[in-house]
Formats: sequence, structure tokens, C-alpha cells
Amino acid sequence: MQASRARLFKEYKEVQREKTADPDIQLVCDDTNIFKWTALIKGPSETPYEGGVFQLAFAVPEQYPLQPPQVRFLTKIFHPNVHFKTGEICLDILKNAWSPAWTLQSVCRAIIALMAHPEPDSPLNCDSGNLLRSGDLRGYQSMARMYTRLAAMPKKG
Amino acid sequence: MVMILMKLSTILASTLTNRLAKLKQCKLDAKREQWLSQVKNKGCKDESNVKTGSSPSPLINPNHERDHKSSKNLETRSRGEDTCLHDSDLEFLTNSPTNSVSGGKDSRKNRIGSSSSSSCSGSCSGSVSEEEDDGCLDDWEAVADALTADDDKLQNPNSKPPSGSALNLGLPNKECEIGGLKPECNEKVPNCRAWRPDDAFRPQSLPNLSKQYSFPMNADRRFGLGGVSWGCHSLISQPSSCPLCCEDLDLTDSSFLPCLCGFRLCLFCHKRLLEEDARCPGCRKQYDSVIGGTGINGGAPKFRLARSCSMSTGS
Repeated sequence: MQASRARLFKEYKEVQREKTADPDIQLVCDDTNIFKWTALIKGPSETPYEGGVFQLAFAVPEQYPLQPPQVRFLTKIFHPNVHFKTGEICLDILKNAWSPAWTLQSVCRAIIALMAHPEPDSPLNCDSGNLLRSGDLRGYQSMARMYTRLAAMPKKG
Repeated sequence: MVMILMKLSTILASTLTNRLAKLKQCKLDAKREQWLSQVKNKGCKDESNVKTGSSPSPLINPNHERDHKSSKNLETRSRGEDTCLHDSDLEFLTNSPTNSVSGGKDSRKNRIGSSSSSSCSGSCSGSVSEEEDDGCLDDWEAVADALTADDDKLQNPNSKPPSGSALNLGLPNKECEIGGLKPECNEKVPNCRAWRPDDAFRPQSLPNLSKQYSFPMNADRRFGLGGVSWGCHSLISQPSSCPLCCEDLDLTDSSFLPCLCGFRLCLFCHKRLLEEDARCPGCRKQYDSVIGGTGINGGAPKFRLARSCSMSTGS
């Protein structure tokens, strides 16, 4: 409990200090609960998610960093490894490949990398995965781009 | 080795200031004697060595003073040192003078810590120590004691080295100064607390910049196999707090290297990991298998590290 709090506090300070270090990631800690974080990440360029801003919700367990944080997309996203309804993310480092050396910031980076390199063979979004697995890259991209525009971009007008 | 003896004796001289006059006299005598023998043996070719060769004389002197050994004994020993001196001097001449200093210091460390000299590839310390083993071990211990005392004194940045006495003795004293201060620099390096050139607390008599710069290079050369310098680097790069729980690493923690990948963490977190995941957070290898490998490969780094720690605290 105490260890996770100290660790999160250090990460918080780190985030404050290097706010400009990674312009694609904006990590914000909940005002009243250091175990709740939200992050805004920019969709990586040259992907269907480019131009979108996606919100992530972190729920940090008390055993952190021995246990990984629970992360999910709050913003709708059409991605093979993200559950379309719950926003759950299928990412090894959030499950069995978690290392206590990872930080919330590095998790954000990993999620950005996952957006750019989907893994259709372990899909949470079967529609998206099937499109990619059947080789319909164009179909996948258009769907993903559409949902990016719908959900992750500021509404026009 | 002779250089080491010289360093030891000169350092000793710097600490025991009341003996300075006597030492000086003895040194001069021995110097002349040695110079004469050298000239006799090797001709003028080695004259350049004589300056550094004056070093063994102070070593002899304390022995002479304390033991009152027979002059014959002294003579033979000085002769033996002479031959040794030539070897070492040749090496020293090819290398930089600071190398000889640090090499001497290193073997001094070896002696004090009584650690194996395997990682220490310093000039000719091995052969020399063998040579010296029979004669004056007691004196060596005394010298070592004096040295540690000297180092302790020097550890305090406020206490200035006896620069006044250094001035009296002239050229050899310059080396004495270096010899006396070098250990401090050396010990500071693992702690990453060496004086910066612009540091206000830096003693004025500290070796000049070129020497300081040349030191790490020498260290690398001396410990080409990754001896203490390896430990220094790891000590420098190691975090001050545990990356997992963010608690400060104490001395036990910072000498604790559970994985070959070099990822450090506190013992508490390591124990918690063993209970759950048992994989190194740095490389994700199982700690058990890593520990199995530690017996073969990892043991050495651990040992070196412990040694460097003991060096920094012990002397």
C-alpha cells in the first residue's frame, strides 16, 4: 500500500517534470485518488487513428507495481486488440508480461505502439481482427478511421 | 612493486611528520647508494630511473630504522629491489607516471584488503610481493596501518594534506603528495564524489587536472578485465532509490545485484517479487535461473562490488 503510493507519487512528479518530453501523452492523476489516472494519447501518425485523441482510464491496484495497472479505453476505438464496448485492452505487458519496471507513462507508450501495430491473432474486437486476418487492410483502415473521426476527434460545429 | 614501496614509504613519511628529518637523511643515503649501484651495474643508461628509483630507499629506511637489520641484509634486499626496479621502471617509463602511481596504489589496496590480485593487472605487483613476502611483512602491516590512518585523515576534505612537509622534501615529495592523495581520488570515484576542478573544497595540493583526467584511463587499463572499474561504473549508474518502491537504497541494497542484467532493487521488493512473480523486472528472466547462473558468472561481479565497497569504506 505504502510502496505503491510512494511509487505513484514519484511517477506523478516525473510526469510533472517531463510534461513536454512526450507530446503524444498527457497523463493526469485524479485529484483525490492517486490510484486513478487518466491519460490522453494521440493516435499515431500514418495509422487510421491519426488525428484522434484517445482517453485511457488507469485503475492502479494497491499491489502496484508488482501488479499491472488496469487500463482501458474510454474513447471508442476500432482496433483488433481493444474491446469495442468495454475498451479493455489485450496487451501482454498489461497481463503476464508486466514488469514492475514499467511505469504508467511507459504503458501509454506501449498502447500507442499497439495502436500502430495491431495483433489480429489475439483479437478482442473480432470484426476488426477478421478484417485484418482476411487481408482486408483497406476495410479495417476505413472502419478504424471512421470511428476515430466519430469518437476521437473534436466535433465540428 | 618498488614503486609501491616508494609510495607507501612516502605516504608514511607524509603522515609521520616527526620522522621526516630522519627519513630524509636515510632517503638521501639510500638514494645515493642505489644510484651508485645502478651506475655500477647498468651504467649511465638507467640514470633516468634514478629519480623514480629513489623511491625504494624510503621503504628500506623504516625497516632499517625499526629492525636494525644487518647492513648485509639491507644490501641484498636493496639489490633485489634494484633488479625489480629496473623491470618496473621500464614499464613505468613506457607508461605514464600516473600509471605507476595508480598501479602502486592499487597493489597497496590489494595488500590491505588482502584480496586476490587476479583482477589487478597492475604492473609488477605480483612478482614483487612474492619477493617481499619473506622479509618485512610486519613492517608492511605497519605501513598499511599508517596508510589507512593517512587515508582516513585525507578523507576529511577539510584536513589539508601535509603540504608543508611536502615542500621540505623536494622532488620525491611531489610524488608523495600524489601518492597520498591519489588513493583519495580513487576512493572517491566509486562514490561518484570526486572533487570537481572548480570545487571550493578541493584541496589546493590535489594533483593537477591532467593527472585527474588521466586517472580513469589508467584505471581502465589496469582493470582491463573489468575489475574495480566495472564496479565503479555500476556504482555510478545505479539508482539511489529502489525503482519499484522508491525507497532509498541502503548499503546492503546497493551492493545487492540479484540479476546479471544489472537491474537493481531493494531486498524488500526482491523478496516480494520472489513470492509472486520471481522474474527480474529488468530482463524478465526467472530469478531462479539467474541465480543459478550467478554461481558461475555473477559471482565475480558481486565479489568485485563487495570489494570496491570495502575499499571505499575500509581504507
